[in-house]
Formats: sequence, C-alpha cells, structure tokens
Amino acid sequence: MIYKLSVPAIAEDIEEFRVLEWHGGIGTPFNTGDMVVELETHKAIIEMRAGQAGILRVISVPDGAWCKIGVPLGLCSDSLDETLPEQTEATADMLVEFEIA
Amino acid sequence: MPPTHQRLFYREAIVRALRETMADDPRVFVMGQDVGAFGGAYREFDGLFAAFGPARVRDTPVAEAAMIGIGVGAAAAGLRPVVSITYMDFLMLGLDPLVNYAAKLSYKTGGQLHAPIVIKTTAGAKGQGVAHSQCIESWLMGVPGLKLVCPSNPADAYGLMVAALEDPGPVIFVDHKKLFPVPGDVPVARYRTPIGTAKIIRAGSDITIATYSYMTRVAHQAADLLINEGISCEVIDLRSLIPLDAALVAQSVARTKNLLTLEEGQVTCGVGSEVAAQVQRRLGPVRVHRVGALPAPVSSNPVLEAACIPNAQRLVDEIKFFINATNPECLHP
Repeated sequence: MIYKLSVPAIAEDIEEFRVLEWHGGIGTPFNTGDMVVELETHKAIIEMRAGQAGILRVISVPDGAWCKIGVPLGLCSDSLDETLPEQTEATADMLVEFEIA
Repeated sequence: MPPTHQRLFYREAIVRALRETMADDPRVFVMGQDVGAFGGAYREFDGLFAAFGPARVRDTPVAEAAMIGIGVGAAAAGLRPVVSITYMDFLMLGLDPLVNYAAKLSYKTGGQLHAPIVIKTTAGAKGQGVAHSQCIESWLMGVPGLKLVCPSNPADAYGLMVAALEDPGPVIFVDHKKLFPVPGDVPVARYRTPIGTAKIIRAGSDITIATYSYMTRVAHQAADLLINEGISCEVIDLRSLIPLDAALVAQSVARTKNLLTLEEGQVTCGVGSEVAAQVQRRLGPVRVHRVGALPAPVSSNPVLEAACIPNAQRLVDEIKFFINATNPECLHP
C-alpha cells in the first residue's frame, strides 16, 4: 500500500514550516520509531518518526524547502515494487509521531 | 543566478539584521532576559551569543527599569545598545529613563549627545492575560524625540531593524506574538526600510483601512470576506507610528472617502485617533471610524480574550455598518 507523509497542525499557530533534513533518500527502508525527517517551525525542531515500517519512495519537499501544513512531504510504501500513484490525494496517511527535539 | 530572496521566519529576519549589523559595528550589543545562550523568548536572538560572546549578548535579571536605564546610559556614552523587553507591558517600568532622558538627550545637550538605543519589545494578545497582552504604542506617540516602528512581516522586520540600528535613536521596535509563526520572503541583499514610511499593502476603492502589525492580517481577512459583499478595501500598513506617514493615508482617503482605523490597543487616545486627526488636517472633514480593543483588560480566558480583540468577522460587521451609516461615530458610541 502507498501512504503519504502528511504534517497535521502540530501546534495551533503553525501555518508553514521548513524541512530541515531527510534521514535517508528514495528507497530507504525504516521501522517504527525511526526518524524520517526533521522539521523546523518558528519555535522548535520537530522530529517526524515513523509509526509503522515502510520504504521512502518520493520526496516532494527537499531539505531547506518550505511546506504549508496539510501538504504531503512525500510518499512511502510497504514494499519497493508497488507502483506509485500519479495523484497523492487518494493515498492514506502513514502513521507518524512527532517529537520536539 | 543566485536567489534574490530568502524565506525566513519573522524571528530570523530580526536576528539577521542584528547579526549583520553587529559584525559591522562593534558598538552594537544586546541585553535582555534570556537573550544569551537561550536565544530569546521567541528565538529572535538565536546564534548571537555563539557568534559574539557574553560581552556583546548580555543576559539581565528581570529588572526592566535598570535594563533601559543602563542601555540609555551606554548609548549616551557612545555604544549602540539593543535592549530586549520581552513583554511590552513591562516597558512601563523603563519609561523614566526612556522618556525623561533618552528622548530628550539630543535636545537637552544642543545636539552634542544622542541616545542611539533600540528597544525591541513584543506586544499583543496570545493567551497570556491582563499584564502580558497589551498594545500600548499610542502611549508613546506624544513623546517628542522617540521613534516607533511596528513591522507586520519578515521583510519589514529586517529593513526596519537595520534602519533602527543605524538611527541616532531612540527607536522602539514593536513586534507581535502572533507574527512569529509567519514566514515571509526577504531580499538577500542588505537594505533598510525608511522609518516613517507607510505602505499600501492592498489596493481598493471603497474604504481605507489604516492599520499596522498583526492587525494587517485581520484587515486582509476582512477584505477577502467583503469582496463577496461588493466592498473593496484598501489596506495601509502604517509600519511606523513615530513618525506617522499620514500623507499616504490621506492620499488614499482622498480616493476612497472613508477612513477606518484598526488597532489591537484601545481606541481612546489611540493610534487611530491620531491618524484620523492628521488625515482631517490635510483633507478637511472625512468619514472616520475607529476600531480597536473593547475598553476592558485582555483576559487570559480565551473566550474573553477573543471578545476583546478585533477579529475578521467583527471588522466585517464594523465596515458594513460604517459604509452604510450616515453619521458613524454618533450612531455607534
């Protein structure tokens, strides 16, 4: 199954954040608890950790780029041979956890 | 080609102006509560302590009168202090050295001494109650010798901080708690935004909204909603309250015939009162309506806080009332 990496409203007043660093490139597998990407808000650095195992397939917002709340950062899948969809709207959200660094 | 702009958080625009100016001018130093290794209450001094060390980035106790008094003295002696007063409410404690000494120093010494101090402080309501939410900019507008800027976005925060750091002073730099989460595009090349210049940030034809700081965002939200009602709002960001660019507001009102002033502070003897008086001096009688906080303290109860402070829906209602009223100030006390 294909999942999108979404950032919900982490805090009430955050509209936009910066992607600080992806921990791994396209094709990197990760397990529950692994850090996928670090985000920077006006207040803090936030670690986005995987809430399920998967493989990073698409990075839509690269290191240093800005992203609005609700826009997917990228796509993941359960296995490497799954075909990526053209649209990201229909895909499910991957389980993630956020930790303030 | 290298990029001409960089996207920055508001706090990053402030710290960029400080970092660049401190690198160029050894007289500039920062003092305030938690400005050192902690990097400031809003991280708006992040990295300065590591770059310039404890002599130029100085933590102070919670003692605003002493902080401003020491800053003003250091300025008179030839340094260029930046004093951080975390909450504008506590600027009150330092008004004696600011008003009686710094603002009058150049006048009193026949121009021999100046007080090139920047006081950076944060105003506005964001859930922190009666003594950590106030906007008291208008209190300072009647003090000859002061300047006061209140940027609404990162580009102006950078440009006005650079201008403040180069000014003979004293300059009060007022930001707002709700502006810190908002990023914006800032030119990469060094520049200054002249103190005393307002800016039309939205063109319109039916009404002029003169406002500043976070309320510019509320004005935009209301203007968006009013498009559907067939009302076209021009929004002016005052950017500087001392000096006040009433000429630009008057030019706009000469076209729209309606002036609405919007501020988060009190309307009585407020920024809007002064804007209205200066515009009327230029244009003669014009239709004016002032909008601001209700005459009550800002509560830490979120429902009461929201009720006190202007928001987009209240502004929409006020504008519709004003546009349709024959004598707005008489009908709506």
